[in-house]
Order: sequence, then structure tokens, then C-alpha cells
Amino acid sequence: MTIDILRLSNVSRVYGKDATQVRALTDVSLSIAEGEFVSIVGPSGCGKSTILNMMGALDQPTQGEVHFDGDSLSEMSRGELTDLRLQKFGFVFQAFNLLPVLTAAENVQFILQLLGFARRERQSRTEAVLDALGLADVADRPATELSGGQQQRVAIARALVGEPALLFADEPSANLDSTSTRELCELLRQINSDRGITVITATHDPLVMSYTSRSIHLEDGRVVEDKSNL
Amino acid sequence: MKQGLFSQFTLIFQLGVRNLWRQRRRNTILLVSVICAITGVVVLNSLIRGMQAQMVDQVVYNLNGHITLHAPDYRSDPAITRGFIEDSEAFTRKLESVKLAGWASRIKIPAVVMSERETRGVQIVALDPAQEHISIVADLPVEGTFLASSEDNRIVLGRALLTQLRTKIGHRIVVVMQDIDSKSIEVGFQIAGVYDSDSEGMEKHVVFVGKHTLQQFLGSESITELSLRFNTRLIPPDGLEAISKAFPNLEVVDWKNIDPILAFMYESVNAMVYIWLAIVFTALVFGLMNTFITAVLERTQEIGLCKSMGMKSSLVLYQVVTESLIIMLLGLIGGLLLSWGVLQLLGDGIDLSAFAAGVEMLNLAPKIRPAVVWQDINIVIVATIFLALVASLYPAIRAVRLDPLVALKD
Repeated sequence: MTIDILRLSNVSRVYGKDATQVRALTDVSLSIAEGEFVSIVGPSGCGKSTILNMMGALDQPTQGEVHFDGDSLSEMSRGELTDLRLQKFGFVFQAFNLLPVLTAAENVQFILQLLGFARRERQSRTEAVLDALGLADVADRPATELSGGQQQRVAIARALVGEPALLFADEPSANLDSTSTRELCELLRQINSDRGITVITATHDPLVMSYTSRSIHLEDGRVVEDKSNL
Repeated sequence: MKQGLFSQFTLIFQLGVRNLWRQRRRNTILLVSVICAITGVVVLNSLIRGMQAQMVDQVVYNLNGHITLHAPDYRSDPAITRGFIEDSEAFTRKLESVKLAGWASRIKIPAVVMSERETRGVQIVALDPAQEHISIVADLPVEGTFLASSEDNRIVLGRALLTQLRTKIGHRIVVVMQDIDSKSIEVGFQIAGVYDSDSEGMEKHVVFVGKHTLQQFLGSESITELSLRFNTRLIPPDGLEAISKAFPNLEVVDWKNIDPILAFMYESVNAMVYIWLAIVFTALVFGLMNTFITAVLERTQEIGLCKSMGMKSSLVLYQVVTESLIIMLLGLIGGLLLSWGVLQLLGDGIDLSAFAAGVEMLNLAPKIRPAVVWQDINIVIVATIFLALVASLYPAIRAVRLDPLVALKD
């Protein structure tokens, strides 16, 4: 039996006021089950990032409800939402993913330091995740000296190191070539299958979509198709 | 929980140091300006405090003491008729509970001195040399000899007066004054020696004779002044009250009343020190604030990234404040070290003898020696930390208010 980890009920999101109003999402309802690998696809401006931000507790809907593990996000305080993002969610953004003043390993440790892990535990977890993602060789390199692909992998390592329940990836392949994109997709699929982490990615790249088990198509802020890729 | 906080603060410190290093040219300029400001404040305050201390020392040291006691009407009419009887045993008994460096009884009356060529008005100071370890008399450089005792029947003049009278050591001069019956008397004294002083005014107007000798000429056993010196730079808090209670029939005058202009200047200096500190630090606060606002604006995306990943607002605030504290504490350490070096160089004092007339008017020694007042240093330390917090608070609040989503898209 599958358990819904995330549920959106009649979610709408409107930006601006009066004449400058922009409706980014309209009456979206869907559920994500634990362990799914979901892609949210559609053309630019269709609301992919907006829906990802709602799910990731980075934004609040104008109407409707988002539930994580049965708890309504709109009933949580700012501090509780911050804690939720830190403890339960992992994020990989399209660009500007790493803190430039830190090394690859320090960027990964960042989450563990926020979580309050002791130094030894931080080091062993960081080494393990960097090893698993094939980044041991670049662990001590400053973030600014890493290639685009390496930076995205370090960002994934950072998202994983806190053992989140959900991993959000917003256009993770936007700045990558096709080889790096393929490697990234393999990695996300491996994380999903081996670790059981639910992965939700917003993308307009068909290659990324082909790796996911479910695709949710958006157009003009509405779900037009929700299909299994299996 | 403690481990968690330690881990978070390690992160904040690490990010703070790296962010400062990233903009090292800008932050070095800021650091140098903080060091210069703190050095300027500490060195100038030390010079001002040195001047302040010298003002007090000069007035206390120059035959006044911290406190002088007179008969009630002596100050309006300084004559031997306004004296009071010296009772050394009673004085000692009354003063034994007060922590004094010493006391001296004197007669100070106006007189006219005449040489074979010139005449001048002076103040006669009749004293017992044995009691004068508390005053400038003990350290005056003397050509010839100083008075040997209270019974010595010679006179000691200042060099400027000697020049004006066109006389010499060993010659006799005549002193005209009023005795206990208010009759003018003329007494001849042989010049025992000539003293040199930093104050030309003193050299011209103060002459020394033996106290006992003068009492015999005046026909009175009275003295006109009892001068007290404490073993501290300033009068202890309860010192004036204790002396007033011990000598209820005498007028008790402290150094501030003896020289009210100097007392006003002394108090003004206290205000000056704090006004100077406030001006420098206010100027610095705007520079700091501007730098940290720029730093926050430059790092909008980074701050957005941190917040989106779950960094609490309080930690974002601490991060900006920590960077400010690091700069200010480094500036404080550098500033104090540089101040120490500058004060070492100024250890011998700044020679103001080129402005001798002005220096004498202000009751200063011809060399200003810096004096470090630890209370001032503590104020600088506290003000620096306070400044670091104030200057970083607004930029930190701006950082806290950043919407992570908006910041990431910036």
C-alpha cells in the first residue's frame, strides 16, 4: 500500500494585485506517494517552479492547501517551515547552488552543521556521501573551481547528506551538457531506488523526464496530464 | 543541544571569516580605518588625560596642596591678623584618620622687597623646610642654599625677581610688611639662594623665609595656612568632609576652589574625552554600516540559498553581526597595539616649551606626558563592541527579511 507523502488540494497561486495580477497556478490537486520519482514538465512559465516551491515550503498558496505527511503547511509558522525544509527536504536548484566561499566538502557539511551534528559525525557522513557520488577527489576544492556538472553533484550530495524524505530538483540539467545530464539522471534514479527517497524534479528536458516514473504536465498553471512512465 | 549550537556557531564563524577574506581589499581598508580611529582615540585621550593629570599635579604641587585651611576671612584679606594658632599635636591628632602624604603650616602674606636699586611687590611664604616634602619647594633647583630650618633668618628669591632687583646672592634686601598690630615693619634679610621654576610668575612673586623667624618679626605665633596633601592624585571621596569636620572653625578650600578656572578645565576635559570618542565612533558607524549593507546586497543569492535550505533567521542575523564583530575586534586589537607603540614613542612627553607662556597660563608642565586611564580603555572596548552590533544590526535585519525565493531569483 502506498502512502501519500505530499498532497496538494485545489492549490492556486496569484502574484501581484489588480491589473498586474498573474495567475501562476489554478486549482491544482495532486498527490505524491512515498518513494516516487516524479517529473513536473511543461513549457517555460507554465508554473513548474511555482508548484515546486509550494511543495518545498518556500512559498504559500493563495488558495488551497499543501499537506506534508498529513500536516498542513499553511498552519505552520515560519520557523516550523524552516525546520521542515532543513530536516525533511533536500533542494537542488537550477543555478547558484553552492556557497562560493566553501569547499565541496564544506558545502555538503553545511546542512549537517545547521542540523547540529558533531564534527566527527559530520566528517564521516560527508565522506560517505561524496564517495557514493564519486566526488571524493574534489572534496577539498573550492566550489568556484568545480565544473557545472560537479557543482550539481555536490549540490545533490548536500541535499542527500541530511537524509531527507523528499528531494526537490528545479531544472537540475539547465546548465549541463547531455553527458552530464545523463549522469545526473542516473544519480537521481539511483538515489530514488537505493535510498527510497522521493524525488520531484521540475524540468522541460525530455531526457530528464524519461528517467522518472511519473510525469505531471502543466500548461498555464493547470495540470493537463498526469501519467506513469513505467 | 550544546553540541548543536557549537556546530552552528562554528559554521557562522567559518562563513564570516571566509566572506571577509573574499572582499579582503575592501575589508582591509575598513580594518585600517578602524585601527586608525581607535589609535587616534586612545592616543589623543591619553595625551588629554596626561594634560589633565599635570594640571592637577601642578596646582596641588605649587604650594597649595589638595586642601588648604585658613581663618574664615583670610582669603579676602591675607594678613597675619587673619591667622590662626599652630598646634602641631592637635593637627596631627585630627589628621591621623585621613590618609595624607603630609601637611605643612605656612604664613603667606603680601610684602614689598627692596634692593639697593629696585622695589617689587611679592608674596612672602614663611615655611618649615622639614614639612615641605609635599610641595614644589622640596624639588626646586636652588643656586646658593635653601633655608636650613624654620629658624633660618635668610631669604630665598626666584631668579626672575633677583634679576629685577638687580642684586646678588649674599646681598641683603629689605622686606616691608605689616605685623600683628597692622604696623609696617622693615626687616633686612640676606639672600641665601635663588630658585628656578617652570613658572616665571612664581619666580617673580614668591619669596621664602623661615616660618619661626617671620613669626618673631611679626610678633605672632600664628600661621595663615595649613596645607594638606593626600597620597592619591585626587581628593578621596570623603576627604573634604572629613577635614571640614576635623577643623570646624577654619575655612576648608580644596584645589578646585583655589583655582576654579583650572577646575572648570579639568571637568571640561572629561566631557571632551567622551565627545571626541562619540564623534569618531559615530563617523565610523556609518562607514561600517555602508560596508555591511553592500556585503548583504552582494550576497543576496547566497543568503537566499541558505534560508531556502533551512538556515534560521537568527543564524542569518548572527552571521552579519559576526562579520562586523570580527572586523571590529581585529581593529580593536590592532588599534590598541598601535596605540601602545605610539605611546611608547611619546613616553618622554611632547615638548611644549616653545609655547611657554600659554603652557604656564594653563598650569601645565612644559612637557605633556601621556597618561593611560584604564577606564577610558574599557570604554573604548565596550564602545567598539557596541558599535559593531549597532553598525551591523540594520544590514543584518535586511538580510533576515530577504525572501529566499526572491533572493534566489535576484
